[in-house]
Amino acid sequence: MTLKSFFEGARDGRLTAVRCTACGGLAIPPKEFCPACGKRGWQAAPLSGSGTIASYTVIRVAPRKFAPEAPYALAQVRLAEGVSILGRIVDVPLDRLAIGLAVKFHPLVRGDQTGIAFGPA
Amino acid sequence: MRKVALVGAGVSKFGVRKATYRDLIWEAGKACFDSVPGVRPKDLDGLVVGSVMPERTAFQSHISSLAAEALGIRPSTLSARTEHMCASGTVGIRYAYAFIAAGLADLVMVLGVEKLNQPQGEEAILNMGTGVDREWEAAFGLTAPPCFALAAQRHMAEYGTTEQHFGLVGVKNHTHASKNPNAHFQKGATLDQVLGSRMIASPLRLFMCSPITDGAAAVIVASEERARALTDRPVWIRGTGQALDGFQLTSLHEDYAHWPALKRAGEAAYRMAGLEPKDVDVAEVHDCFAIAEIIAYEELGFCKKGEGGAFVEAGRSDYGGDVVVNPRGGLMGCGHPLGATGVAQAAEVWAQLRGEAGARQVPDAAVGVTHNNSGMGEHVVMIYGRE
Repeated sequence: MTLKSFFEGARDGRLTAVRCTACGGLAIPPKEFCPACGKRGWQAAPLSGSGTIASYTVIRVAPRKFAPEAPYALAQVRLAEGVSILGRIVDVPLDRLAIGLAVKFHPLVRGDQTGIAFGPA
Repeated sequence: MRKVALVGAGVSKFGVRKATYRDLIWEAGKACFDSVPGVRPKDLDGLVVGSVMPERTAFQSHISSLAAEALGIRPSTLSARTEHMCASGTVGIRYAYAFIAAGLADLVMVLGVEKLNQPQGEEAILNMGTGVDREWEAAFGLTAPPCFALAAQRHMAEYGTTEQHFGLVGVKNHTHASKNPNAHFQKGATLDQVLGSRMIASPLRLFMCSPITDGAAAVIVASEERARALTDRPVWIRGTGQALDGFQLTSLHEDYAHWPALKRAGEAAYRMAGLEPKDVDVAEVHDCFAIAEIIAYEELGFCKKGEGGAFVEAGRSDYGGDVVVNPRGGLMGCGHPLGATGVAQAAEVWAQLRGEAGARQVPDAAVGVTHNNSGMGEHVVMIYGRE
């Protein structure tokens, strides 16, 4: 699993973690060394893309590149498989955001760039 | 290991400065030398400079040598620059401490300096983005405020912490800063002002955030023998700890309301010092955002986990309370010139423990803590004590 293949999969709607071939630990985003056992052997592990918001914030003052999009939400999402990832929240009204809200992976595609985002479950 | 003390300290004016990077070095260096008349620049055998991004903000690297020449210091044992994002200054003090404790140096200046403000304000925000992971965080539009906002939301959900609690941290630190002539902000702030200020990243409003600030600070660190020859009031380094949970947010503890690395760093420092949280009279903690100060109360053991909001509300972190937190005004009131912050924290504790903090003096302060972090998962704690 490389960054390139991770994002190519994401672009097609597939969120993929890596599973350590030594200890079975799951990690996302992809890593070189297993955070649990330190070994260096991974298999791609497709995820369901389902999760819940563990924490979130609405960004109102954004860096220049993102300023036209403000306000926008960003969340820490705890995925059904037990790992967490950060992503933008899309297609959810800002006043409906809540910790515990169910969300689903939704790639944010802009030209040749792909971002991690989550939308309504 | 040898005993090590701070024997001098000085801070530049913090703010949006019409000063060059070198001007800031001169200003803090002079203030530091003025504080300890027995030390001339050529008496120092080492210099460590904490600075994060002069390559971007001043188009300058090779920083330690530049500062040494600017201040007339000729390092013979130690010359280095430390870059550890917002904790660069305290990381520099640890280097000086270790060299002196080991007998490899005797008298070392640690100087922190940052020139963050740029002609285009947006450039400063962009530069700050170098402190988070480029590919996994900055790429989503993540800067520092949202990281800490994620912690704030968790803390509110788990412990009932309120926006008012965050506001009270802002009021306290802005009020303290009003008594510090070197602070970026000196007008104080009311709770209405703080809670009415612009939302940056919910629930954090402008007056709950530290600003983009230029500034420098310096301390002189000495072996016991040199310290005793130079001053009758050395401020001893009694304990230090550093711990990391990770760099990317996703590498940290799953629950951002908990900062286990800060707890570990604090425990290591207390253990080394043979002291407990209740022994601390004054603490300079890293209030880059109000939530950070509330979590620091908890992880440093000033109150139980989850009670940080009530702790500030009851006035227990202010004058007359359990421990005076951020008497100089913190990062919120003084500003946060990255590399300078940790050194300025040490300078404040140095003044407090010598009884020289003037209008900000914490009565009879004997033990002081500084806490400097670089992100939510990387923390450095120092414990200082007077004789």
